[in-house]
Amino acid sequence: MNSMTNPIVEVSHLGKAFGSNRVLRDVNLTIPQGAIVGLLGTNGSGKSTLIKCLLGLLRISQGTATIYGEDVWDLSAATKARLGYVPQDIQLYPWMVIRQIVEYTAAFYPRWDFELTDRLLQEWQLSPLDDVGPLSPGQKQKLALILALGHSPELLIFDEPVASLDPLARREFLKSLLEITQDERHTVLFSTHITSDLERVASHVAVVRDGRIVLFDELDALKDKVKRLRITAAIDLPPEFAISGALRTEVDGPRALVAVCDLQPHTVEDIKQRWQAAVSVEDLNLEDIFLELHHSE
Amino acid sequence: MHNLNIQFEIQPSSGVPIYRQVMDQVRALVAGGKLQPGDVLPGIRQMAVELQVNMMTVSKAYAKLEAEGLLEHTRGSGMRVAEQSGPGTLAQRKQDLRPLAEALVKRGMLCNLSAEQILAIVESVLKEQR
Repeated sequence: MNSMTNPIVEVSHLGKAFGSNRVLRDVNLTIPQGAIVGLLGTNGSGKSTLIKCLLGLLRISQGTATIYGEDVWDLSAATKARLGYVPQDIQLYPWMVIRQIVEYTAAFYPRWDFELTDRLLQEWQLSPLDDVGPLSPGQKQKLALILALGHSPELLIFDEPVASLDPLARREFLKSLLEITQDERHTVLFSTHITSDLERVASHVAVVRDGRIVLFDELDALKDKVKRLRITAAIDLPPEFAISGALRTEVDGPRALVAVCDLQPHTVEDIKQRWQAAVSVEDLNLEDIFLELHHSE
Repeated sequence: MHNLNIQFEIQPSSGVPIYRQVMDQVRALVAGGKLQPGDVLPGIRQMAVELQVNMMTVSKAYAKLEAEGLLEHTRGSGMRVAEQSGPGTLAQRKQDLRPLAEALVKRGMLCNLSAEQILAIVESVLKEQR
């Protein structure tokens, strides 16, 4: 499954500024085919801006970005047909009924999978004859997702797709997403600030912080590599106590808590020897890792 | 042909990657005899849908278990428990021993013994048992 040779999205040294406000700086990202990438960041970290830059909805200030090898500012109609996008702020025609808006949207595409959209409408309990206007935010989000999937796009880009869904609907959405993407032909990029949404479905995680991607890796690899060391030494540790690759270090007398980015087997041994210390290694889940990344200043 | 009553429990928010959780459970099912040599595991897609996880996660777990010798490809595209597995593949037996070895090493370090000294003790015990 070594598909890094076939990147779908490629971003190099991307920067975006609004006037003097630099929202994205030196973003590098390569998304291989079949990846389900969770773009994780706090509110205001630059996730939506990055997504809009990738779709050519905002002009990038520096660097390059390509989708299927084409410059994102100049995507061909054929490449656009391979994209499915749901923005954070969903605009739907309130005066249509659901069936109309599906047919209206379908008319823009050469191919449309009515079987899929009908099935999803049913699964997500949207009645084709209901008016779009009075739908709840969660229902609108579901509808927008269905409209984005109807032309069988290969690259799905969702900005906070589950933000306004209740836990049940969120689970349903993630399940549908998994079903649709289980063929490795699809590539998905979705932003969220809810780590638990990512843990089931994502193959990769990109953490955005202050306009930069501070970490991009396979989720499994991340859990295998990022560890927290609980150190108890025979003597007080110096305040400048440091371990290479540490994300965060907390020293309290002879005890220290250190989150490390890429734990090497010899690191633990070295600490034990050097400080006559007992060291335990703790696994971290995605939320722990996310918090550790944001603690470090 | 599938062992449909196998129940896998996945905790997505654990610090242990999901593929490792799947591996551990397959190992345990084999060790406990609930999966016998020749038994076919659920297909990758089926397992992924059941567990509601990414398909790559399941395929990674299966591939690693195959590399360990616990699983092997069937003639079709499925995976089954390897013939020589049973409750005692080499990999399984090694895995079973690990926690004991970890306890031994930890205890040794608490007593301030070096790696060489700990290994020497293990070797001398081995000699006595032969």
